Amino acid sequence: MTDLLELAQLRGTLDHCVKCTICETACPVSNVSPLFPGPKYAGPQSERYRVADEPSVDLSVDYCSGCGICSQVCPQGVKIAEINAQARDKLKRQKGWPLRDRIITRPTWLGRAGTPVAPLANLSLKLKPARILIEKTLGIHRDAAMPAFAGRRFSAWARQRSDGLKSVRKIVYFHGCGTEYYEPWEGEKLVAILEHNGFEVVVPKQDCCGLPLQSSGLFDDARKVLGTLARALDPYLTDDDDTIIVGNATSCTLMLKREGREVLGLQDDPVLKRVSSHVYDICELLLELHDRGELKTDFQPIDEVVAYHAPCQQQGHWVGKPALDLLALIPGLQVREMNARCCGIAGTYGLKVEKYEIAQAVGRDLFDQVAASGASTVLCDSETCRWQLADATQRPAAHPIEYLYQAYGLGS
Amino acid sequence: MRSQLHFDAVVIGGGMAGLTAGTRLAQAGAKVAVLAKGYGSTHLSPSTIDVLGYTPERVRSPSESLGKLIAERPDHPYALVGVDAVSDSLSWFADCAAHGPLPSYEYVGGIDRNLAIPTAMGVLRPSAMVPSTMAGGEASALGTVAIVSVPSLREFHPALCAANLTAAGIESRALTLPMAVERADMNPVGMARRFEDPAWRGHFCAQLLAQLRTEEHVGLPAMLGLNDPAAVVADLERRLGRTVFEIPTLPPSVPGMRRYEILRSALRAAGGRLALGADVISHERSNGRVTSVSTHAAGRDLIYVADWFVLASGGFASGAIELDSHWVTHERVLGLPLRGVPEAGSPRFEREYLTEQPLAAAGVAVDAELRAEGTENVFVAGASLPGATPWREGSGEGIALASGYRAAAVIAGGLRTEEGVAS
Amino acid sequence: MTTLSTEVLVIGGGATGVGVAWDATLRGIDAVLVDRADLAEGTSGRFHGLLHSGGRYAVKDPRAAKECIAENRILRRVAADCIEDTGGLFVTTPFDDPAYADTFVAACQATGVDCEEIAASEALASEPRLHPQISRAFRVPDANIDVWKTVWAMGHGAQQRGARILTYHEVIAVHRSSDRVTGARVRDVRTGSEIDIEARVTVNAAGAWAGRIADMAGVEGVRVLPGRGIMIAMNHRLVNTVINRCQMPTDGDILVPIRTVSVIGTTDQHTDDPDDHTVEQAEVDRMFDDGEKLVPGFRQARALRVWTGVRPLFEDAKESDTDTRDVTRAHALLDHEQRDGVGGFVTITGGKLTTYRMMAEETVDAVCRHLGVSRECTTATESLPGSESGATYRLGERLQRKEAALQDEQVICECELVTRSSLEEAMRRTGSTKLDDIRRQLRLGMGPCQGGFCNYRATGLLHGIDELSAEDANQALLDFLQERWKGMWPILYGDQLRQVRFDDWVFQGVLDVAHAPGAAGAEAVAAEQPS
Repeated sequence: MTDLLELAQLRGTLDHCVKCTICETACPVSNVSPLFPGPKYAGPQSERYRVADEPSVDLSVDYCSGCGICSQVCPQGVKIAEINAQARDKLKRQKGWPLRDRIITRPTWLGRAGTPVAPLANLSLKLKPARILIEKTLGIHRDAAMPAFAGRRFSAWARQRSDGLKSVRKIVYFHGCGTEYYEPWEGEKLVAILEHNGFEVVVPKQDCCGLPLQSSGLFDDARKVLGTLARALDPYLTDDDDTIIVGNATSCTLMLKREGREVLGLQDDPVLKRVSSHVYDICELLLELHDRGELKTDFQPIDEVVAYHAPCQQQGHWVGKPALDLLALIPGLQVREMNARCCGIAGTYGLKVEKYEIAQAVGRDLFDQVAASGASTVLCDSETCRWQLADATQRPAAHPIEYLYQAYGLGS
Repeated sequence: MRSQLHFDAVVIGGGMAGLTAGTRLAQAGAKVAVLAKGYGSTHLSPSTIDVLGYTPERVRSPSESLGKLIAERPDHPYALVGVDAVSDSLSWFADCAAHGPLPSYEYVGGIDRNLAIPTAMGVLRPSAMVPSTMAGGEASALGTVAIVSVPSLREFHPALCAANLTAAGIESRALTLPMAVERADMNPVGMARRFEDPAWRGHFCAQLLAQLRTEEHVGLPAMLGLNDPAAVVADLERRLGRTVFEIPTLPPSVPGMRRYEILRSALRAAGGRLALGADVISHERSNGRVTSVSTHAAGRDLIYVADWFVLASGGFASGAIELDSHWVTHERVLGLPLRGVPEAGSPRFEREYLTEQPLAAAGVAVDAELRAEGTENVFVAGASLPGATPWREGSGEGIALASGYRAAAVIAGGLRTEEGVAS
Repeated sequence: MTTLSTEVLVIGGGATGVGVAWDATLRGIDAVLVDRADLAEGTSGRFHGLLHSGGRYAVKDPRAAKECIAENRILRRVAADCIEDTGGLFVTTPFDDPAYADTFVAACQATGVDCEEIAASEALASEPRLHPQISRAFRVPDANIDVWKTVWAMGHGAQQRGARILTYHEVIAVHRSSDRVTGARVRDVRTGSEIDIEARVTVNAAGAWAGRIADMAGVEGVRVLPGRGIMIAMNHRLVNTVINRCQMPTDGDILVPIRTVSVIGTTDQHTDDPDDHTVEQAEVDRMFDDGEKLVPGFRQARALRVWTGVRPLFEDAKESDTDTRDVTRAHALLDHEQRDGVGGFVTITGGKLTTYRMMAEETVDAVCRHLGVSRECTTATESLPGSESGATYRLGERLQRKEAALQDEQVICECELVTRSSLEEAMRRTGSTKLDDIRRQLRLGMGPCQGGFCNYRATGLLHGIDELSAEDANQALLDFLQERWKGMWPILYGDQLRQVRFDDWVFQGVLDVAHAPGAAGAEAVAAEQPS
C-alpha cells in the first residue's frame, strides 16, 4: 500500500462519524476556547471540504492540541486527532513554520546545547527579562513551565556504569529526551527497578522519537527522526520475538507504537512495524509481569496520599491505567484518581505564546482537583505533564515508578 | 511476546448495559474489566430510565403492562430477564445515583407508574424514572410553564416546545434571554459549565425574573451543571422562587454524562477496571467457550483472558452488528449467530419511515439466560439483544439495565459455583 | 382569472428552460417561465453534476462530443462560479478492453476534445484510491457544475431584467387557435388559483415531459423516451477528479466528485413515466460493483443517498429502441410551424446539461424568427450573476467563509455548514413551509447525518419565521424526515445504517416526534394523564 493510499484510508474513517458529538464533550481545548471549533468540526466534518490540491482554509485547526482524547472516546472509530494532524501538516506547509517551531520541536538540539551550560541556562530561563526576550523573539510564553537541564546526560551514566546486572533476560531501554537531558534520575530508577526484577538493561545509542516535530506539523523531519530511532533500536530485537523495548516517557512510547505510523503514513515501514510491536510503557510492562506472577512484590508501606493523573497519551496506549493497579500493590499508599481530561501542556502546545492561556484554562479543572485531593504529590506518566502540573499546583510531580522504587527500598 | 491480562470476567462495551454488568460483577467480587471502544449510549440518550412507553399504545404503568408484553412477545428481552430483574435493576441504579459522586442527584419514579416528561419538541414522553432535576417537568405537576433558553443554543427551540406543550393541554410560552456568551454556538457542555457559575446564574435569574409571571414553572434545557446539578437547580429555584426543571435536548446529553460518571464511579468503587479505546478485534475459542478476546492496543494486540464474557456492544448503532453492502448481517465482535434478520430477498426496510422496520429487531441469538447461542460463557446485554425496537417502544435504558443486571447475576452464580467446586 | 401577456412563454424550469428565459431576456425579449415545481427539480437537478469534456461521447456520438467541448469552454467562462475545475481522467481498468484507449484518443483528436495521456503512476499519485492496476490514463477537461446555482443565477438575473418566473405553476392547458399556439393556462399547485398566459411564442422546454406538453398542444409525434437512471452519492470525495472508465459508455462508469460527495452513476432503464422514481435492488448492487472496479474498497465506504434522474431522449424515427442509451444524446429543436403547421410553438428536447446554453441559443434564435426580429445571442460572453470574476468555485469556500466568522455565526446544518442567517434568509425569501425547498437552496440535510440534527433546528426556525402552528411545524419536520428516508432506505448498509439508528434515537427517542400533536401516533395528553 502506498503511503498516499494509507493516508487516504485514514481520511476515510470519517465515514464512521454519525455526528454524535461525543468527541466535542471530551475535547479539552474547544471546551475552554472558542478559537478551536471542536474535534467533530475540525476533523471528520471539515475534512469533507478539504481537497488535496486546494489551499488550506481553516487555520483554526492549528489550535488542536493533539491530545488525542477525541479519537479515544469516539464510539465509532473515527481517527479524529489523526485527521486533524494531517490538516495541520498541510496548513503548516503552506504557511511555513515559525523559527520557534523548528527549535522547540528538537529536544535533542536543545538538550545538547543546554546540558554543558546547565546552571547558566537554567538560571536564565528563570529570569524574567530573559523570558520576555524569548517570548518576543521565539514566541514561547514567558510564564510557561520550562524544565531545568540536569547538567548531565542519562546515557553517560548508563555507559559509564560497570555494576549493572547481567542476565539472560535482557530488556532494551528507550529513555527519551526527557530522561536524557532533564531527569536522568528517572532512568536510573527505572533501571534499578528492572534489575531488581532480574532484567539486564541495555541502553542503545538513541535519539528523539519525533513527536514534537509531528505535533507542530513538520512531518518530513518527523519521519526522518522516527526512522532513525527505529533503526537504532531494531538491531537489538532478537529472532525469538520476545525482546522488550521499554520506555518511561509515555508520549514517546506511544509515538513509537502507533502515532508515528498512523499520522505520518508509515504503516508499511517494515523496521518501524517490527520495532513498534515490541514497545512497552513501563507501567504496562510491570502490570503484565505481575499478571504472570513474575513481578517482585516486596513493597514496603508508604503512608501517603497521592494524586494520579493519566496523561492523554498514556490513555492513547489503549491499555487502561496500569499505574493504578501497580500503585495499589504498595501498602498504605492512598491514590486519588484524578478525573480530568488533560493538563493542558500537550507536549509543546502549552509553551507557545498564542496557546499558553488556552493550555492553562484546559488544565484548570485538573489543577483544582489536585488541590482538593489533599495529595502531597501528583503522579503522572509523562514528563511534560509533570512539569506543567508541578508548576500549576506547586506540588512535586513524579512518575509512578518513583514510588515503586521507593517502596522496593532501592534508594536506601 | 503475548501481551495479556487475566480477569474473571470481561465486559465488551462501555454503555449503559456494559457498565451495569461490569459494576454488578465487581460488586459480586469478580475481577472484571470493562472494555470500551469509546463512550457509549450514556452520552447520547436523555438519561431518563425508560422501561416501557408504547406498545404502541401509551403505557400508564410498566409493571402492569410488562406481564402482557412478556406473554405476547416471548422473544422480547424483558421476557428473558423477567420482571424482577427490571425492578431490581432500577432500584439498584437509583441507589448508585443516590450514593454516587453527584451530591443529592437522585432518580425518582419506578416501574409502577410512567411519568410524562416533556421532550425538546414539547411532546410528553412516558418514562419510568427520571433525574430529580427533570422531575419538576412531570405533566401532572405542571400548571403554566415558561420554556426558557438563550439564542446561542441552537439545540433547543423554546417556541416550538411551548407550542406543542400547549397543544397537549399545558399552557406554555417561550422566553429567550439575550445572555451574552463568547460564541454564537454554545454547546451543551459549555452551557452546563455556565450554569455552574453562581455569578452567571445570578445574572441569568435576574433577567428571567423580570419576565416571569407568578405561578409559572420554568423549563430549561438539560444543561444545568455536570458536577453538582442538584445544587444548581436548587439555587435556581431559590432565586426564582418556583419550580425549575430540565428538558432533555439533542445529543450530547449532559444528563447522560452525569449518568456515565455515576456508573463509572460505581464500577471503580467496586474495584472494576475500565479501559477506554479498547476495541475488541478478535477472540479465541475452545469448543463452546470463548477463552480470550484481543483488543487493538497501540503497537500490538492486548489479550484479555477471562472465564466469562458479557457482550454489551451496542447493536447496529455502534456497528457491533453490521449490515454490509452485500446485504449480509454479521455480529462483528465475536461472530455470533443472529436472530430476527429478514431472509435474503425479503425487505429489510419499509418505504414508510415511521413504521416498524423489518431489520430493526435483529440481534444476537440468546437463550433464556441471555447466553449467546453456541457458547457456554458469553452473555449478551443491551442493544445487541434481539426482539425489541427500544426507540419506538421507549425501553432503551430499561433493557440495558435489566439485561446487564441479569447477565451479571447469572455469571456471578456461575462464579460462586466454580468457587464452591474449587474449595 | 389573471391574465399575463408576454412575448415568449417558456414551459419548463430546468437548465434549458431557464437558459431560454435568460437568453431571451438578454436579447430584450419579454419572457414568462412556468414550472410545476421548483426550478431544476426535473432532470437537471437529478443528475450527477458532470460538466462533460465530451470524452465520453467522442467515439460513439461525435456530434455530442463536439458540442460538449465547445460548451464546456464557454461555461467555464460565463458560469465560472458554478463550476469546480476538478479535471477528469479516463482510465483503463483491468475490466476494460485495452484496445479502446487508442480508439478513444483518436476520437478525441477528431472531435477536438483535449486529451493528454499521463503515466498510470501519475494518475495514482494524484488519486491514490484508484484501482492500483490501471494501465493507462488520460486527462480531459471534465469538471463539475452546480445546477441549482447555475439555474438560479440565470433565474435571478432574468428576473432582475424584467422576466417573470412562476414556480409551482403547472400547465393545465395549452391554448390553440386553429393553426397557432397562443399560450397556456397554469394552476398554482399551492393555492389552486389559475392564470392565463398569452404569448406570441411558446417554448416547450419541458424535458422528459416535453411529449406531454406537445400532446396538450395537439402536436403529434413528439416522442420523448424517458431513460431512468440511478445515482448514488458516497459520503466523501473518494476522488477529487472526475473518473471515467475508458470504454464504450455503459452503466456505472463515471465517478464524479461534486460538493462534498462522490457520485457513482448511472444506470439506464426504459420507462414510460417521466415521474418514475423506482430504484431497483439490482441496480444498486450493480452500482456498488462498478464503484469497486474504480475504487477498491468502495463497498466499505459510506453510501449516503440514492436518487433517480430521467433523461429526455428524443426519438425522431418511428421504430422504438429499448436501450435508450443508444439514442443520440444530441439535442433536437422542433419548429412546429415547419414540422407540423402549428405556429407559435417550438420544442427543445433531448440533449444534456452541458449543452443547455447552446440549446437555449438555438431556441431563442427560433423565437426571434417567429417574432420577426433579429437579435444577437450574448450568453456565450455575458457572465451569469455571481460569475463575473471568472474564478471557478473551490470546495473549501464554504469552510473558508465559516472560518472567517467562526465565533459569530451559528451553524444549523453542521455537515453542510449552513448558517442560521442564510437559513432564515432563505426561509423568508421562499416563503415555503417545506424544508425540502430550503434543502435545495442551501443543501440543508444533505450531509452524512441526513438531517439528524438540523431537521429539528431548522423546524424550530421555520416555526418562528413562518409563525406556524405546532401541528404544521411538526408536520414539516415529519415530512422532511420522510423525504430524507426516501433516498436512504434502498442503499442502507454499514455506516449509514449506524447513522439512521442514531437518528432514530434522536427523533423517536429523544424528541418522540411520532407522538407529536398532529402526528399519526399522537394522543391527547389530557386523555392519558394519570390523575
